[in-house]
Amino acid sequence: MPGRRSPPADNRLLWPALALPGTAWLTLFFLVPVYAIACIAFGRVDPVFRDAIPVWNPADWQFADAGDTLSSVISGPLRGVFLRTTVYVVAAIAFCLVIGYPVAYYVARSSLRRRTWLLGLMILPFWVSFLMRLLAWVNLLEPDGWATRALDWIGIEQQWLNGNHVTVILGLVYGYVPFLILPLYASLERIDWNLVDAAQDLGASPWRSFHRITLPLSRPGIAAGVVLVALPMFGDYYTNDLLSRSPRTEMIGNQIDFFLNASRQKQKGATLVLVLSAALAIGMSWYLIGLERTRRREES
Amino acid sequence: MTTSGFDRRRFLRLSGLGVGTAIVAPSILSACGGSSSTSNAPSLPIGTPDRPITLPVTRESIADGLAPESGTLRVYNYADYVNPDVVAAFEETYGVTVEISTYVTEEEAVAKLRSGSVEADVILGMTDTSLALLVAADLIQPINRSYLTNFSNVITGLQNPYYDVGSQYTVPHVIYANGIGYRTDRDVDTSSFSGDDGWNVLWDSTYSGRVGVLDSYRDTINMALFRNGVFDVNTGDAELIDRAVSALNEMSAATRPQVDILSYQEIPAGNRDIGLCWSGDMLAGIGYLPEDGDPMSLGFWYPKNTITANDFFAVGSAATHPVLAHHFVDYLLDVDNALANQVFVGYQPALEPITTDLLIDRGVIPDSLVDALVTPTRYDDGLRLVTLEPAVDTLWIDAWTTFTSG
Repeated sequence: MPGRRSPPADNRLLWPALALPGTAWLTLFFLVPVYAIACIAFGRVDPVFRDAIPVWNPADWQFADAGDTLSSVISGPLRGVFLRTTVYVVAAIAFCLVIGYPVAYYVARSSLRRRTWLLGLMILPFWVSFLMRLLAWVNLLEPDGWATRALDWIGIEQQWLNGNHVTVILGLVYGYVPFLILPLYASLERIDWNLVDAAQDLGASPWRSFHRITLPLSRPGIAAGVVLVALPMFGDYYTNDLLSRSPRTEMIGNQIDFFLNASRQKQKGATLVLVLSAALAIGMSWYLIGLERTRRREES
Repeated sequence: MTTSGFDRRRFLRLSGLGVGTAIVAPSILSACGGSSSTSNAPSLPIGTPDRPITLPVTRESIADGLAPESGTLRVYNYADYVNPDVVAAFEETYGVTVEISTYVTEEEAVAKLRSGSVEADVILGMTDTSLALLVAADLIQPINRSYLTNFSNVITGLQNPYYDVGSQYTVPHVIYANGIGYRTDRDVDTSSFSGDDGWNVLWDSTYSGRVGVLDSYRDTINMALFRNGVFDVNTGDAELIDRAVSALNEMSAATRPQVDILSYQEIPAGNRDIGLCWSGDMLAGIGYLPEDGDPMSLGFWYPKNTITANDFFAVGSAATHPVLAHHFVDYLLDVDNALANQVFVGYQPALEPITTDLLIDRGVIPDSLVDALVTPTRYDDGLRLVTLEPAVDTLWIDAWTTFTSG
């Protein structure tokens, strides 16, 4: 009877066993930190030293302070920061897709030899610290920086480093676009291009064949890339710290940084981390559900 | 001269604010909305200018006349907050080595000292806002003044500070004031600097995009309070704080300030015309001028009604070289050594003989920065930040969040 062949009995446990250390590592270092953060968010404050004291027993957790922080997110001053962060991330992801998709497409359609070179070039920026690259941009965008002067010359006069939304969004794009291109490339590279050729042989225009074949088949790669960049973007704080340092462009990561590092309200910082994580978990769930639907569709 | 850690030191010294040293009275805690944490809290003795405090002495200081230990002196300090040349000279003089561990915030320092992960002979850079904690947790030991032959150099008014009457545990280190750093070679309107309302310049849209304020909630909110004519720097009046935040939002709309602690770099580099900063920022800023930069291009203004403050030296209770630690402190109280240290650090030693004339004669500062110096009289005239009660501190932090949220 045709069908999937079962692996040999000897191998049945081999792969799970090999995956075990990594799985345990990821589980441990995800669950334990999240639990620790919850223990701080719902914990106590040392009455003398005013340090946050984690409460490890969930039965003893108290939610009054966390509730106050949540209110601030829903209807207080932090609401604007959350909304701004969301807008920045959505805009940055859109921009990443616009410039990243063609690059991934081009690399995926290139010859094997050229592809190797192009992939090498794509990871070239990682050879230089992201921090250093952003600092370079700070110099370029200073009032008398070369980039500012060049932009002035073509008539685009702006204060680039003083609370400029565009600068922060482009900073996010600059930092994260390679992380979107690589999974996208991996997805595009696996496409059976004969399908596209067949569509065009049957009269489909290049745009139509892209829209009906390439784009749907690369959707998992888009989703993976979006998730990969969205998660760190939401928690990013140094892009704004370096490129703006203005209240006009404050992101939620900056507020978390403030509460954890520059105030004695670590509980508030921990609560914000949980709120952000919960919001991102919703996005992740959407991604995982989408993956599952795709899998079922393919199986059927 | 690098100052990254030093920056954080300044930033967090006044922003993290030793809130931990608060008098945590149950009545206050009940005002915190019934937070779990804070009921039945014991209180810590906190000195204020109105209520100077003699800290409890729970252990003996070292005996008189002991020889300094050999080996390695462990110094716990902010990064780049002591001149390596001065340290090297100390090592040579005493035939010892000095090992410097650094911290970023006072909170971190207290936590690491408490946990025992850091054991220090000498601690530099802490402020009175952490002092009660250091004493309560038995992290520092009483000073034996007989080893401090240069103690008389300390500014007289600081020899018996309100936070440690009798200087039992601490020795003043540097002093500074809050004010406005500016470029003298730019078109900055300094006419209002003759009075107390010079803060208004930060609201002048002429300088839009070329302004900075401190990323330190108490300093920046207080600046807005000063502009509003309020000089209670530790106020718990929510209405006054709200008005200050409204003023800050107006400023944000008018001048788009950057909120950071980088005026000491940005003003000398020419990227910023004016900025709320600490006096030491402009003194340190000389080292950040471009190669062809003119030191006279830097200026600083601070009025009588502004914040003045100091930090101090202390000897760790876990010191294995306590005698050597005393000698190290004394070494930095020497006028020449303190001056050499200032050249690197920027901040002004809290020593009486280090006068304006001396600093100019020695070429440490240009004439344009005479106003950045904090004389003993002006130090005494200044306003003092003290540790806020938890509920009040929350008010300030919420206000800061409102401002920084844009």
